[in-house]
Amino acid sequence: MRKYCRLAGLLCCLMTHSIASAQSVVFIDPGKSDEIYWVTAAHAMESAARSLGMHLDVRYAERDHPRSMDIEREIAALPVGKRPDFAIVTNDYATGPELLRILDGAGIKTLFAYSRILSAPELVDAGRPRARFKGWLGSLEPRAEDAGYLTAHALITRARAARAFGSDGKLHLLAIGGDRSSTTSILRDAGMRRAAAEAHDVMLDQEVFAGWTRDKAAEQSEWLFQRYPDARLIWAGNDLMAFGAMDTWEKRGGMPGKDAFFSGINTSSAAMEDLRAGRLSALAGGHFMCGAWALVLLYDYAHGHDFADEGLELERPMFMLFTPAEAERFTARFGDTDFSQIDFRRFSKILNPKLKHYDFSFAQLMR
Amino acid sequence: MPKPAFRPLAASLIRKTILIATLSAVCVAAVQALLAYRQAHRQFDLSMRDIASTSLPMLSGSLWDIEPETVRRQVQAIADRYRIGYVRLEARTGQVFEAGRPAMRVAGASEHFDIPYPYQKTGSLGGLDIWPDADALYAEVARSVSSAVLGYVLLTGVVCLTLAIILRRDLQRPMQHIADFVTHMRAETLTRPLALQRPSAHTRDEIDLVADGFRTLQDGLNSYITTLDNLVADRTKELKTAMDAVHELSITDPLTGCFNRRLFNERFQQEIERAIRYSRALSIAYCDVDHFKQINDRYGHAVGDRVLVQVVDMFRQQLREGVDWMSRYGGEEFIIVQPETPLAAAQASAERLRRAIADARVNAGGTAIQVTASFGVAQLGPGENATILLGRADALLYEAKQAGRNCVFPPVPGT
Repeated sequence: MRKYCRLAGLLCCLMTHSIASAQSVVFIDPGKSDEIYWVTAAHAMESAARSLGMHLDVRYAERDHPRSMDIEREIAALPVGKRPDFAIVTNDYATGPELLRILDGAGIKTLFAYSRILSAPELVDAGRPRARFKGWLGSLEPRAEDAGYLTAHALITRARAARAFGSDGKLHLLAIGGDRSSTTSILRDAGMRRAAAEAHDVMLDQEVFAGWTRDKAAEQSEWLFQRYPDARLIWAGNDLMAFGAMDTWEKRGGMPGKDAFFSGINTSSAAMEDLRAGRLSALAGGHFMCGAWALVLLYDYAHGHDFADEGLELERPMFMLFTPAEAERFTARFGDTDFSQIDFRRFSKILNPKLKHYDFSFAQLMR
Repeated sequence: MPKPAFRPLAASLIRKTILIATLSAVCVAAVQALLAYRQAHRQFDLSMRDIASTSLPMLSGSLWDIEPETVRRQVQAIADRYRIGYVRLEARTGQVFEAGRPAMRVAGASEHFDIPYPYQKTGSLGGLDIWPDADALYAEVARSVSSAVLGYVLLTGVVCLTLAIILRRDLQRPMQHIADFVTHMRAETLTRPLALQRPSAHTRDEIDLVADGFRTLQDGLNSYITTLDNLVADRTKELKTAMDAVHELSITDPLTGCFNRRLFNERFQQEIERAIRYSRALSIAYCDVDHFKQINDRYGHAVGDRVLVQVVDMFRQQLREGVDWMSRYGGEEFIIVQPETPLAAAQASAERLRRAIADARVNAGGTAIQVTASFGVAQLGPGENATILLGRADALLYEAKQAGRNCVFPPVPGT
């Protein structure tokens, strides 16, 4: 059955190939070219592109917002024949509307991945997909709130079990968020707050923003630990910030996972390692696949199956909460950021006409 | 002893003005410095409070959100502000942020501010200490003082300059002029008026008073000198009169008013010499009042004196005025000198005199008495001198006495 399927897919692929040449996609990677999360994301996308027979060009903005704009302008300035068909961009630091303006002017269709245009001023600027900017196809993003909620909930459960109550009988939680403006950060924090609010024995002492970096998280946690001596729960918006806070805790003579509990988001090998070692009490990840999933959407769109039937602004669960065992399995399977064993055609509606809903959860890749 | 060096009044006035102005400037600068220092201190305090009050909310937010980099930048921004020397922020959790120049961190000079919690929470997140920039403070004081002193010096300079010009024009030059005028004043130029080259003005000043004083003095001197000249002339005239009187006395017989013997001797010699030199005739008549001693004895000396006076009056009436002259040669002896007169004329003249005396009467205490006189007339002969001529006249008088008195010898023919 699977063989048939593959054959059909291949045929299909060949057919579409004969109809139109392979779709070319450019991905403006907001991260640095050595930043593990964004490199992993790019690798996953490359695997997906290969798997789907698309041409992918990854450009790193190196966390320099004006640079992403420059890259867009460069692309828009290319001769018409050399311009990519699609661009996958992120809405980091509210650069979205301006990116849209550039790309739409150049006739390049744009899909937001990872983060979308969300805030009111941005919406005033950009409107809705396929309205003011016709080439703005829509957006696909992980349900970032999940990540915050899953990790915070697991963290609280773990701490409660370890009876890490403060003198007032409450679990004192400190939150180290990424930044104040990006959608991802806002939503992850919201998930964390939802979990904290649900638990009546949790006191969220303070929330700070460490800019996603380990050093600043380490520095801020130093202050926080002094400010809140009762705090034993440290929630972090990513893995690096969790590491920073753990560094500080250890420096103060504590033992992460024993006398204080930390949670992080991401699937870096270091995070997986800490999870297995028990130093990290909760870890969620899998959203790095968002770009690869976006390619699946574009593949279907290019071949005549518009994802509009599921909505233009898709927000899908992509996170999974890893257990130490799953961490081990993840490392074994994807530890070298090689995702070539994943057959992305399985998720295409064009190639799988029976598929009614896109399922982008990471858990299915771990089975 | 040498004269002290000349120093113009204006120069010393200016010098003293400058000295006083300098002393005042020092006082002004000191007071200004004190005021400016206090003012600057107040302003610095206000500035620090202003800066702190505007910075505290941001610091509070950054501290609360634990944004050390932002806190560091904010602290640096405060330190970079004018008037701020050093800033030190100590979080309640022990972290310290410092910026500025450590040299400004002087104990006791700082202002302390508590950094409140944001969101109306009570308590303090930490403390902010701000030290003023002492250099800026002193620079402000210096600027204030120097501008005040500069203004003062400029004003003083203008005042001194104006003063110098006015003094030079209105005081020094006229005074110099007056001094030169007085220095070069001579007796002969005493009356030359003092002319000052001054612009005419509607008002008068001290120089005008001095000039007026000089004019008054000159006028006074002039009038005094004139008076003195008149006085000298008067006195000289008086003296001459006195001298003339004395001379008159010395050559005149006080009783009769005719020449005395001393003058006769002198003048007679001159008459002789002139007659000889010009070969002119010169005759003399030697006269003696007859029985004069008896008249004196009989009627007293007063009558005797009156006789003599009357005889002389008669001579004066009979003789040629301005040509003939006479002298009382002895007690009752008279010599009449008649220049340009030959013997005959002299004889006739003597006869006329004898007759006049004999015809007259002299009042002697109610009694009229007759007086007579005898005459010896002689003409200067060739080779004769005064003594010989006198001797001959005296001899002829003696002959007339011998001939009975009241006669002329040699007798006039026909008498």
